[in-house]
Order: sequence, then structure tokens, then C-alpha cells
Amino acid sequence: MSYLEYTVKTVPAGPRKLLFLNWPLAVTLIAVAGIGAVMLYSVAGGDFSRWAEPQLVRFTAGFGLMLIVAMVPIWFWRNMSVLAYTISLALLVAVEFVGVTGMGAQRWIDLGVMRLQPSELMKITLVMLLAAYYDWLPVAKASRPLWVLVPVLIVLLPTALVLIQPDLGTALLLLIAGGLVMFIAGVHWAYFAGVLAAGAALVATVFQSRGTDWQLLKDYQFRRIDTFLDPATDPLGAGYHITQSKIALGSGGWTGRGLMQGTQTRLNFLPEKHTDFIFTTLAEELGFVGGVTLLFLYALILAFCVISALQHRDRFAQILVFGVAVTFFLFFAVNMSMVMGLAPVVGVPLPLVSYGGSAMLVLMLGFGLVQSAHVHRPR
Amino acid sequence: MIRRPLRPLARILEARAKGESPDAIERENIRLRHEQMRDKLRQRAEIRLMVLGFGFICAFAVVGARMADLAASDPEEPRVRASGASILAQRADIVDRHGRVLATNMETHSLYAHPQDMIDPARAARELARIFPDLEEAELLEDFTGARKFLWIKRQLSPEQKQAVHDIGEPGLLFGPREMRLYPNGAIAAHVLGGAGFGREGVHAAEVVGRAGVEKTFDERLRDPARGGEPLALSLDLTVQAAAERVLEGAMRIFNAKGAAAVLMDVHTGEIVSLVSLPDFDPNSRPAPPTEGEPGDSPLFNRAVQGVYELGSTFKIFTAAQALELGVANEETVIDTSGPMRIGGFAIREFRGKNYGEQTVEGIVVHSSNRGTARLALEIGAENQRAFLERLGLTEPVPLEMPEAKGGRPLLPERWGDVATVTVSYGHGISVTPLHLAAAYATIANGGRKVVPTLLRQRAPQPEAQAMSPEVAAQALGMLRRVVTEGTASMAEVRGYKVAGKTGTADKPRRTGGYYEDKVIATFASVFPADDPAYALVVALDEPVETSGDEPRRSAGWTAVPVAAELIRRAAPLLGLRPEIEPAPLEGVTLTAN
Repeated sequence: MSYLEYTVKTVPAGPRKLLFLNWPLAVTLIAVAGIGAVMLYSVAGGDFSRWAEPQLVRFTAGFGLMLIVAMVPIWFWRNMSVLAYTISLALLVAVEFVGVTGMGAQRWIDLGVMRLQPSELMKITLVMLLAAYYDWLPVAKASRPLWVLVPVLIVLLPTALVLIQPDLGTALLLLIAGGLVMFIAGVHWAYFAGVLAAGAALVATVFQSRGTDWQLLKDYQFRRIDTFLDPATDPLGAGYHITQSKIALGSGGWTGRGLMQGTQTRLNFLPEKHTDFIFTTLAEELGFVGGVTLLFLYALILAFCVISALQHRDRFAQILVFGVAVTFFLFFAVNMSMVMGLAPVVGVPLPLVSYGGSAMLVLMLGFGLVQSAHVHRPR
Repeated sequence: MIRRPLRPLARILEARAKGESPDAIERENIRLRHEQMRDKLRQRAEIRLMVLGFGFICAFAVVGARMADLAASDPEEPRVRASGASILAQRADIVDRHGRVLATNMETHSLYAHPQDMIDPARAARELARIFPDLEEAELLEDFTGARKFLWIKRQLSPEQKQAVHDIGEPGLLFGPREMRLYPNGAIAAHVLGGAGFGREGVHAAEVVGRAGVEKTFDERLRDPARGGEPLALSLDLTVQAAAERVLEGAMRIFNAKGAAAVLMDVHTGEIVSLVSLPDFDPNSRPAPPTEGEPGDSPLFNRAVQGVYELGSTFKIFTAAQALELGVANEETVIDTSGPMRIGGFAIREFRGKNYGEQTVEGIVVHSSNRGTARLALEIGAENQRAFLERLGLTEPVPLEMPEAKGGRPLLPERWGDVATVTVSYGHGISVTPLHLAAAYATIANGGRKVVPTLLRQRAPQPEAQAMSPEVAAQALGMLRRVVTEGTASMAEVRGYKVAGKTGTADKPRRTGGYYEDKVIATFASVFPADDPAYALVVALDEPVETSGDEPRRSAGWTAVPVAAELIRRAAPLLGLRPEIEPAPLEGVTLTAN
């Protein structure tokens, strides 16, 4: 059923829309951002103005943005999705030429007010376009090879652009998020099985090639994989981050050392302690209880999104809400796995907690779309 | 989707008979089908969502479990980023067979700058230019005041330089630890060790990687943290190596040779005790490969391992041994070596046109008769000859533990016909490395067992196949001994160590074809002591000329042989061989009973 088929009268209008927001979701978001601010305050050693204050300002701005997006009808956003994707793609291309290089690899576009990372924006617009595509496409055609090829290209184009920046982590996130959206949209499972099998075969081949004449990776790349599998072999080189954050998690114990009492972070053992590795501080200072609380809040956010999507009867809104939820999930799943040594180190922030602007604004934009879908759902 | 016919005629007729409208039924059917389809889609979507939700739950469970696992683990005390030896001494030492250090690590420092932290860039630039004369003050100042946030100034500092920079007192100048490979013996064993350089470089450490020689072959093993820096023990003997290099250096000067090579190996285990190739280099600052000129003349070229040469008459003993092995001839067989002799249009001549008349096999080897060897070779035949050389390991590169050894691939005749068989029998038309020759002589010396040379210390002889019978090996050894006592290598006699060996003087081939008349490779391949051989030694000189006589002499008997003798004289005591001196005849001594 599409929006053309039900009357818009059933949807609230004007300021009344605020009442129909998904308030549980909004409150949970505020709670997570609050934990983030407290941690940034603690990491800065009790200095509120260093990281916590700008982060709160950003979250407030992001929350405002979410409300504005939520007030706009969801069908407007559907009509905008091609344009939004095209703009993101154009920015990704533009960043190749006019981008500012920061932190070695990631590239930004300077907008004067803020510096924007087009690859972050792409995470949401990609989901939007895929949702619009599957809304437009008759369901029966979703699994035909030609109609599968189109979304594959939609996903691969930005992935390739991000890959050459180079930013392997974001490229992988885009690829996985795109794949999961296609999965939800009902593309035949054989495609996914095929891709997974091919991927597994590739990985197996790469490992088989080790030490032979046709070795596919350089020796140092294999060594990095070794380090990931067993960081203890190189505790002062590539395994440094992981080893130190594991120590931090271990020394936190069940209840933690208390705010501002963490030694690992206080003594500057950990690089990126306020950005990608902030979870180590949290785990050390608030312990297992603190970590599980955060995990629970994240699970709540996902649950609210899923419930909202299931209540919806519109295909675009359903897929979009799931897509945003998946993107959000990938952010924190990858970050936490990385910090706990379950995945290799790639630069992915902990959503709403890590210090940083682009990721936060983009996520709030995504949640704005979720809210818009929730407000404008047919009743 | 399978489409069933929408309006079966039978049903239409049936409906008409009952007076119902077929159109209404049709609409009803379509509605039902659409509902079915929607249910199916909905079901599929729900399954998908359930799978995804299950994935979410699994991810949460894994992360939560991991967190619990870590939280329950014993809190480790935070460790300060360790500094000093534990990170730095990562690459293992290389030692000789007695544990003497050939390669080790030294901690030095690199110097880099953070210009934005500088207090007085002008002074820093001036002082640095004073300490390091190779740096330009103006350039430094430009770098320090420019936009750069980081720059390297020096990769390695001596302790004095570090102190001098430290004394500038500039906080923007910083030091990083830099492990450096040190070869305390300088150029000794340079070709074997090869050298090391920096791989990936960072501020706090740099990766040391092997560039050539055993450093490259054993790169992985040397920096394997699991081995905990256990030194790599080579088969080389540092003192023997040093003695051999001195002797060869002297020989190069005396005979005005372009290069020299020597291989000394244990005939039972294949351990290389000394491997020399001159000219050489200092592995502490390994020179860049030359971009012009003959690569074979570069100091980086290992003549003993990479250089393939026609080694001439030293091959005759293989022909003689094979003739005995096959029964083509025995000790008593007399062979006519008188000329003229033509094979395939080529005249086979003796050295300086001599004629040795009728000779036994031993006589042929002792006098180094080309025609006699040729006759034996024709009896042996090309196939047998090739198979025998293969058994001695002379047709393939030696699998020595150096990347350079792959370059020492023997050059074999393209067509192994009669002419080739004859020339190969006295060491022409086949080019091998001195290392190949030493291994083949070791086979004769140890009773006919094939030997694979190795640079690693061995505990026991290698189990290799028999290349010739022990009896034949013993006979061949006797012939080699006679070459020294009565033949062309009389200068090889070293008192107390019975040397056995064979000379070889081969004209160097021209690049354009044919041979030079005044450029030779002089080789002496030997084993000692002849009674119970322990070591094989090959000495090769590139373009030697001996000028003490009336006319220049180039033959191995005048050049390579005395060099080998001198080397054995010095090295044998170092190797722990006791000289066997025959008691002087008891002339003038009267034995009396009581």
C-alpha cells in the first residue's frame, strides 16, 4: 500500500504533530547523549568546556534538526531521496578535488560554519534512495537479476568513492548497510548466500596464498591480520590500542573505578580516548554495569525503531526506518567489537557518545526521518 | 509465478446455470489471489525481519558476553609504554659456529623536529648546521618557519651528536629510538651476511629488514618474536674467515687480479666454514647496486656463489672417476694421449702443445692431459656424463641459504653431443660456481657421498645419496694427491697437511665469442688432509698474472695453488687439525743398548 492509496486526513497536522512524535525514542536518545556528555566531562579530567560543552551544543542542534525533519511529511522526503543521493554523491566526488585532508585519511568539505564529511551524509541518503527504489519497484520484480543490479550499483558507486579516499571502515559500513536494506526489501536469499560464499572463498584464497609464489597480500598486511588475531604478539606496535583497551575493560571490573578515576585514560595510555575509544573509559570508570546500561539503551533505540516500522504499512517508511536502525546498529556494533578486540581497528565512532560533529548530525538527521515516518503513519 | 487460467469455461457455464454473475465470481477470485499474494509477501518480510532481529540479538549477546568476560578478568596493572631494550632488541643476533657475534643490534637515535614547539628556530638551525656540516642552515630555517608540523632531520645519531643536539636545549627538537643493525667485524663475511636496512619507519621505532645474504633469507626467523631473540648460528668460523680474506686480499695485490673467491667447507656435513668473494663491501653501509658497468665486477657481486665460470681442468678428476666407476678403464688401463686428435672439426690440443704419450688414468689426471680426458669422455658418452654431473649437483643452482645462490645457475651445453662431451670432460663449455666445485670435491673426499652446502651449523652429516662408490672415491683422492706430489700443483705442498687437489686454468670467454688469450680464471680445487679428508677448499682468481719470471705466468699452478697453500697453512691450525710431521730420518743417531 502506498501513500497514494490512503487519505492524508488521518495524519495529524500543524503543531499537534509534536504530540505524535515517538517520544520514547527521543527520550532514549537524550539519555544516551547525556551519558556521552558525562563521559566527555570525565575524560577531560573534570573540564566541562573542553569536550562536553561543544558536544551538548551539537546534540541540541541535532535534536532541533531531528524535530524539523520530523515535522516535514515523510512523502516529501521520499520525493527528495533521488536528489539527496545525487547531492551526496556529487559531494563525494567534489571532496576528491576540494576536500581538506585531516587525520591522515578522512576528507572533509569546509562549509564555513562546519566541516562536513560527505561519506557520513551518504550513509543516510543511500538508505533513503534504496527505500524509495523498493517502494517504487513492484515487489514481484525485486528478485529479478536486472532489478537487483540497479540497487547494487547504487550501493557500490559511493562505496568505491569512499574506498579511494581511503576510508575502509566507512566503505564497509556502506556496503553492509546497503546489503541489509536489500535483504529487508525481500531480495531472494540466494543472492546473499552467493555473495557470502564468494566472500568466504576470497578470504580463504587470500589465506591460502600466504607464503606461496602467488601471495595476494603483502607480508605486512598479513602481519596486521595476525596482530588482530593475537594482539599479544606485538603489544607495542599495531596491537597497542587493543591491548590497552582490554586492560582498561579488565581493570573496570563489575562496578568500575568511579568517574574520573580511570588510570588508563587519565595517564594517556589510550589514543583517541575521547573519540573512537571512549567506550574504554566508560567501561573502566563505570564498569560492566555502565557498559551494559549503555548497551541496553542502544537496544531500546533499536527496539523503538523496529516497533515503529512494524506498525507502518507503507513500504518506503518501513524500509527507511529499518535502514536507519541498521546504520545505527552497525555504528555501535563495529565500534564496540573493535574496542573489545572482536574486530580489527577501523575508525568508527560510538554513536551519540564519541566526540565529533558529522556523525552526530547525520544520525540525528536519520532519526528525524524515523520520527517523520512515525508521525505521518496512517492510522 | 504460475498463472492458472482465470476463467475456466466449465465454471462460467456452471455459474450461469445457477444464475450467478460470472463477472462477480471473477472479481472475487482476483481479490482472493491478491490477498494471498500480500499475505505471502508480508510473511516473507516478517521472516526477513526476524532473521535480522535474531542477528541483532546475537550481536548484543556477543558484545555483552565479551564485556562480562573482560570485566571478570583479573585487572592487570597498567603498564607504562616500555622503553629500551625490550622493544628494541627485536632482531636476533647472528653468530658464527663458536658463538662469536657476526651481526647484532645497536640502539641509536633519530632526530626529528616539531617546528610549532620551537622557541628559537633561528638558533636551532644555526646550531644544527654547526653540529652536522652536511645540513644547510638556510634550508633548516625555512623548514622550521614553514607550515610543516613534523620533519625528519637525521635518521641516526652518534651518542656525541645526540648530546650536542640535546645541549641546544630546543624543545622542538626530539629524539626517537632507532634500532640499528651493527656488523662489528666490518667487511668480514660481508657477502654471507648481506646487510639490513630500514623498512617502515615511524617516530618511535623503525623496522629493520634484511636486504641480502642470510639477513634476507632468515628475515622472518630473525624477527620472529616467538623465538625470543635466540641467535642464528651460522657454520662460518670467524677466525678462518678473517684469515681467508687476508690471504685472498694479498693474492689479489700480488697477482694483480680483478677478483678472488674461496670456499672452504666441511666434506662430511657440507658446512661452509669460510666463504670469501673479493672485492667486498662493508655491510654496515651497504652500497647501492651499481647502475652502470659490468654487474659481475660490482663489490656486491658474490663470485663464489653467483659467479659461474668455466673452471677448466679441475673437471678432469670427474671424468677420470666416472671412467673408473663405469669400468671404461681401470687402474692399469693404458690410454694413448698422442695427437693429433680431431672431434667434430675441432683439434684437441694439450697445454703448450705437449705430448704425454701413453698414460694410465692417473697419469692423465696428474699431467692434466686434454686428449687423454677426451678419449675417456668419448667412451663414457654424453648421457652418462650428464647424469654423473647431475649426481654431483653440478647442473642445478646450489640450494644455499642465500637469495644470491639462485643466481648461480650452471651454464650447460645447449647440445650435448660429442664435442660438448669432450669439452665438458676438461671443464670447458660448462660454467659452474666455485661453490659447486667445492661441493663436488667434498663428495670425492668423503667417500663418494653427495654433499649439499649449508651456511647453518649442523650437528650430523647429511643423509645424501652416494654419487660414486667409496672405492672409486678413494682412487680419485689418490690421484689428486699425486697431482700435488708430482704434478701441476707442487706448490700446494703444506708441511704437515697432506693436500690433494687439481688445478684449472681456463681462458675467459669474450662477450663477442671466442676466448681471451691473456685473461684467465685460475682455480685450485683441493681437499686436505689427504689421509682422512676433513675439508674441501676451492680458490679461484679472476685474471691473475704472476710477473716474477721472464714472461707473465697465468696458470693456476703459479697463482691459485700458492694462494690455496698459504690459506691452508693458516687455516688448518685454526680448524683444529694437527700437523702430521714425519720424524726426521735418524741419521747420525746411534741407538745403543745400555
